[in-house]
Amino acid sequence: MSTRQRPGRNWRRPAGLGAAGLLAVLWIVAVARDGRAGADPAGVDAGTRSVRERFFEQSVRPLLVERCYSCHAGAKHKGGLRLDSIEAILHGGDTGPAVVPGKPTDSLLIEAVNYQGLEMPPTGKLEPAQIDALARWVSIGAPWPSHDLASAHATPGGDASKGVLTGNGVHDQEPLWSFQPVRRPALPPPVATSNGDAADWTSNPIDRFVARKLAEKGLSPAPPADRTTLIRRVTFDLTGLPPTPTEVDAFLADDRDDAYERLVDRLLASPRYGQRWARHWLDLVRYADSDGYRQDAYRPEVWRYRDYVVRSFNTDKPFNRFIAEQLAGDELDPDDPELRIATGYLRLGPYEYNQRDVPGQWADILNDITDVTGEVFLGLSIGCARCHDHKFDPILQEDYYRLRAFFAPLLPRDDLPLARAREQDEYRARRLAWEKAAAGVLAELDKIAKPYRDRGAKSALAKFPDEIRAILAKPESERTPLERQIGALAYRQVAFEHAQVPKVLKGADKTRWKTLQEKLKPFDAMRPRDLVGVMAATDVGPVAPPTIIPGDRRARAIEPGYPVAIDSRPAHIVHPAAVPRSTGRRLALARWLGRAENPLTTRVAVNRIWQGHFGRGLVGTSSDFGRVGEPPSHPELLDWLASEFVRDGWRGKPIHRLILTSSTYRQAAHRRPEEVLRAARIDPENRLLWKQTVRRLDAEEIRDAMLAASGELDNRMGGPGEDAKGTRRSLDTRLMRNAPDPFLTAFDAPDGSGTTGRRVTTTTSTQALLLLNGHWTLGRAGALAGRVERASAGSTSARGAVILTYRLCLARLPDPNELAPAIDYLEPPRQSQKPARLGKLQKRARLIDFCHVLLNCNEFLYVD
Amino acid sequence: MDSWIPHRVTPLTRRDWLMQSGAGFGALALGDLLARDLAAATDRDHRATENPPRPPWLRPATARSVIFLFMEGGPSHIDTFDPKPELNRLAGRPLPPSFKPVITPMGEGRAPLMASPRRWKQHGQSGHWVSDWLPHIATCADELAVIRSCWSNGLNHVGGVCQMNTGSTLAGRPSLGSWVSYGLGTDNANLPAYVVMQDIPRAQVAGGPRNWGAGFMPAVYQGTRIDGGPEPIANLATPAEVGEARQRSKLDLLGRLNAHHQAPRFDQTELDARIKSYELAFRMQAEAPEAVDLASETDATRSLYGLDDPAAAPAGRLCLLARRLVERGVRFVQVYCGAGSRWDSHTDIETNHAKACRAMDQPVAGLVKDLKRRGLLDDTLVVWGGEFGRTPMSEKGNGRDHNPYGFTMWMAGGGVRPGITIGRTDEVGLHAIEDRLHVRDLHATILHALGADHTRLIYRHQGRPERPTVNEGLVCRKLFQA
Repeated sequence: MSTRQRPGRNWRRPAGLGAAGLLAVLWIVAVARDGRAGADPAGVDAGTRSVRERFFEQSVRPLLVERCYSCHAGAKHKGGLRLDSIEAILHGGDTGPAVVPGKPTDSLLIEAVNYQGLEMPPTGKLEPAQIDALARWVSIGAPWPSHDLASAHATPGGDASKGVLTGNGVHDQEPLWSFQPVRRPALPPPVATSNGDAADWTSNPIDRFVARKLAEKGLSPAPPADRTTLIRRVTFDLTGLPPTPTEVDAFLADDRDDAYERLVDRLLASPRYGQRWARHWLDLVRYADSDGYRQDAYRPEVWRYRDYVVRSFNTDKPFNRFIAEQLAGDELDPDDPELRIATGYLRLGPYEYNQRDVPGQWADILNDITDVTGEVFLGLSIGCARCHDHKFDPILQEDYYRLRAFFAPLLPRDDLPLARAREQDEYRARRLAWEKAAAGVLAELDKIAKPYRDRGAKSALAKFPDEIRAILAKPESERTPLERQIGALAYRQVAFEHAQVPKVLKGADKTRWKTLQEKLKPFDAMRPRDLVGVMAATDVGPVAPPTIIPGDRRARAIEPGYPVAIDSRPAHIVHPAAVPRSTGRRLALARWLGRAENPLTTRVAVNRIWQGHFGRGLVGTSSDFGRVGEPPSHPELLDWLASEFVRDGWRGKPIHRLILTSSTYRQAAHRRPEEVLRAARIDPENRLLWKQTVRRLDAEEIRDAMLAASGELDNRMGGPGEDAKGTRRSLDTRLMRNAPDPFLTAFDAPDGSGTTGRRVTTTTSTQALLLLNGHWTLGRAGALAGRVERASAGSTSARGAVILTYRLCLARLPDPNELAPAIDYLEPPRQSQKPARLGKLQKRARLIDFCHVLLNCNEFLYVD
Repeated sequence: MDSWIPHRVTPLTRRDWLMQSGAGFGALALGDLLARDLAAATDRDHRATENPPRPPWLRPATARSVIFLFMEGGPSHIDTFDPKPELNRLAGRPLPPSFKPVITPMGEGRAPLMASPRRWKQHGQSGHWVSDWLPHIATCADELAVIRSCWSNGLNHVGGVCQMNTGSTLAGRPSLGSWVSYGLGTDNANLPAYVVMQDIPRAQVAGGPRNWGAGFMPAVYQGTRIDGGPEPIANLATPAEVGEARQRSKLDLLGRLNAHHQAPRFDQTELDARIKSYELAFRMQAEAPEAVDLASETDATRSLYGLDDPAAAPAGRLCLLARRLVERGVRFVQVYCGAGSRWDSHTDIETNHAKACRAMDQPVAGLVKDLKRRGLLDDTLVVWGGEFGRTPMSEKGNGRDHNPYGFTMWMAGGGVRPGITIGRTDEVGLHAIEDRLHVRDLHATILHALGADHTRLIYRHQGRPERPTVNEGLVCRKLFQA
């Protein structure tokens, strides 16, 4: 087995690796006490360590947890022994050290599990494979991940002063790589790669980092992709659309040295860029146009958030500003309608309109926004810590609630109009004037409605438990902040009943209602158009309700703060002067996330950009920068990009430009078989980027590319979502959580149920059937054929039709080997002497089929 | 240890290439595939041929196919197959301190115990206890091997469903069906090896389609969704206006274009998978309509599956489809009953479970009986269960919370001893305490029945030998011994 190590050596990570801060020093001291730190050769490379630690995580830790920890972990240490940290294991229990690294036969633990002497676990002997795993673990030196929260105290009753005591755990070790500060590395010197021609391969700094890694492994980069490939690749990557034939021609004809750079700049300036990259963002924030749950009500105004995201990308809004607007737009400027839309971020989760457990519902909403914020901005799956300290990452349960506390004062709002204060005043004045003028009619209407309203409210209230009714019975001014939140959420259900009134009127009331509505019409000229209310959020008031960890008997109030392992200081919260009814908590969180020193935000952000261009981030798990996630393939490059991002003012476009103009990005996606075989033996997953990756188009790209080819793409930007059966660009189609479009779903579009950091790409016969027999695809083939016919009107040349179809679908000309069979397909050669002129209909059918095949072919669905 | 390496990331020879990507969609049985390929190889490049090696994990099988009836959301074992008189006696009181307390998702661990109002009877020769919620399944009692001591790690739905499918609560590993189609292929190359159906097609199974995903294996091993209803496989039929001749000529052209495109990109397995997905689609067009057409079933058979009862018809249709699919060589069929966590009963379990039980009781019983009378039960393993059971403690007064600490599953057919009971839970049904069977043990056992040794079934991923149950899982031999 590849993981087998020589026993007795290198059992621990090298001392002082990385940032040897105080915590790391304490770690060394703790080990040195056992007299072995000095004997530990500092030679374990990260790869070997990760293999050994993975073995531990996969085969040993679960075993210890499952079979040993009920008696030998945390507060329990039967026989004086704990097995939840390496220090405790080495310290051992009443009978001495449990493990002698490298020496299974001298290790009491191994004796005990073999039932030689002690018989552990007493509930039943381990399986032979499990015993083997433990013995092997000891024989390879008992590796234990070096920054491990499980080791709360080094020894039973251990010395808590060794680390930072935080609730349930102690951070007494070096943090996770992603928690360490971003350091801008020096550029590696240019290296000659093994194919010798690399001296000028490196176009920009990115290539230096990539080339060095390749050279270390004896790999060489692929040759550059040809221009036809490049324009299709970069156009899809930046705009989500194929290049038009005109665009391809212009690029191929551009013989300036910087033709490609100009192309990249043109695409970055295109409004289509915002549409494409907004889609990535909408995946992350689980955007949908409906509520989810059973009712799945349509959200008529949520599209404004989608359009806001598109605008933000197109204007290259600094990312930290983008964060602040979404988390705390209302605290930045409560009068700016654009920022009101931005806070829609806080409202994108599912909502159940008839949930009677309102406090439970509110807790779910807060948990959801906390989880999503953790994954989207910090790249951490913090949800686990809601119930317990994170098993793998240095996230405490208390950290979770510290983060949640930023959102504790939140109040979902649908009453904030899309207008500035002045416009609102004008509206109110006009509305009052209208109400005054029509007062008589309005009063009569109200008289009819009142009993219905009261009945509706009564029935809504009856469904709530007593404590909710008690809250709603209190005047607003007497409610606590939490009661105001719960009351507001509960009142939505009452308001829902109120809104039903005109629909539930009966008999004479109904007739009279109609008559009165007619009488109201003469006043219409005075009546101002109602202001649009957006999905937004504010704080409930200047005082936040307390955040308490469920089940905490002491009911300690948790103050807002950050994961202790990153920043243990209390959050610095300033009441925003301009917004007296707000706590300033969310703005404080946004500012902290948007600090250049935040080790996660910038790394996570640039990694997502990288993922968008290579199909996989430098950290493959782009929403998990924790220990379960992948370590970066190019840690220095990641940090360099992150620091570059900050230097460029947190703007995405310069990073895109850097990546896209690198030689790394411009590599061909395929190379000679012998090269592939050789490289794949060294780096089978191409993590070192010895070529570009062939990528299947995303669901929206496939749909949009079909519409683009057929000439039907309705590329009006923004506005309410439309049915995906139509021809609007996919971004602007309506995503109902419970009824997503089957075409988009089949190609792995997310359904808005959870944050999606990286889409899965499946290949299924469902997709094949959809493309082959699906009504929608056939419709596009028909439209494409029509377009080709119209374009070649007057010409009878099948050749021309083939060429145009290729250009529209694949953004290239057919090569001679393709041209002839394609022409034959459209006009089968005569079989006999009889002149076999095809009828017009037959000809049309053949062209449609040909178009349909091109829309189905792999080259259409994949980008090199 | 494993001289025969079934999978390499880089195809070095055409045979490796086929090993890597070919056994998937429509997967031919592996041995067959090798034989064909070697024949092709001799024609093509005169490569020296040896006898195709037999995958080292193959063992004598007791079952040919699996039908996994997944009660999604977590059915209450203590109201269906695991009666607890003591629970009724203690009802209203908190869990006595002699029971090890548990974490429950809803924090109802200290809520009072709730009685099961079910009427219980022993059935058949086996004397299996079955509650009055399942009158039809009760009539098949003697076919069932009831395992009352299952346990898992997934406290919540997504983790629980993921583990029941992949062995792990964290997403990313291949599902059991994927392991089966990789390791054993199918007996019918014209149908997918691994089919997934949901009684509520629109609902989302907790965690979504990745539950039947192939994880780190090539996508060809993932499950194929088939829906009940008038059009079981979406877009299966060639549109009338196109017709078969045109369709065939289109597919020929498509094949040529794709081959041309793939040649320089030979290492991109997904391109090959997509080509194969079309080939399968075309073969499915020929075969599947017949396979999924219930019209040829007699009224008696339809009634047997509960198709006359609107409440039971959706699951009934799927159970009947499942029989037709295994009859035609599909290896692994998964039927979600109550898709979208419909078994989840945090409140009002009476109404919820009465409905969920009725929706599947007659269909499931019909399936077991129909398999039996057709002689298919001998080599079809039917597995019934959810991602967890439910707590003896009440939730919100009339519901039950999730209980992964002890719950019931049962098997029938496929070489499993009928009529036996394995394991037990404590007096209130909270913890499995005897012959505990973890999900990984369950997977090992299912693979064992299918003739695959879970410790030998290896897929190389990033150089590591990956096994379906990671390095764990014990076959429950008691299920098989005579």
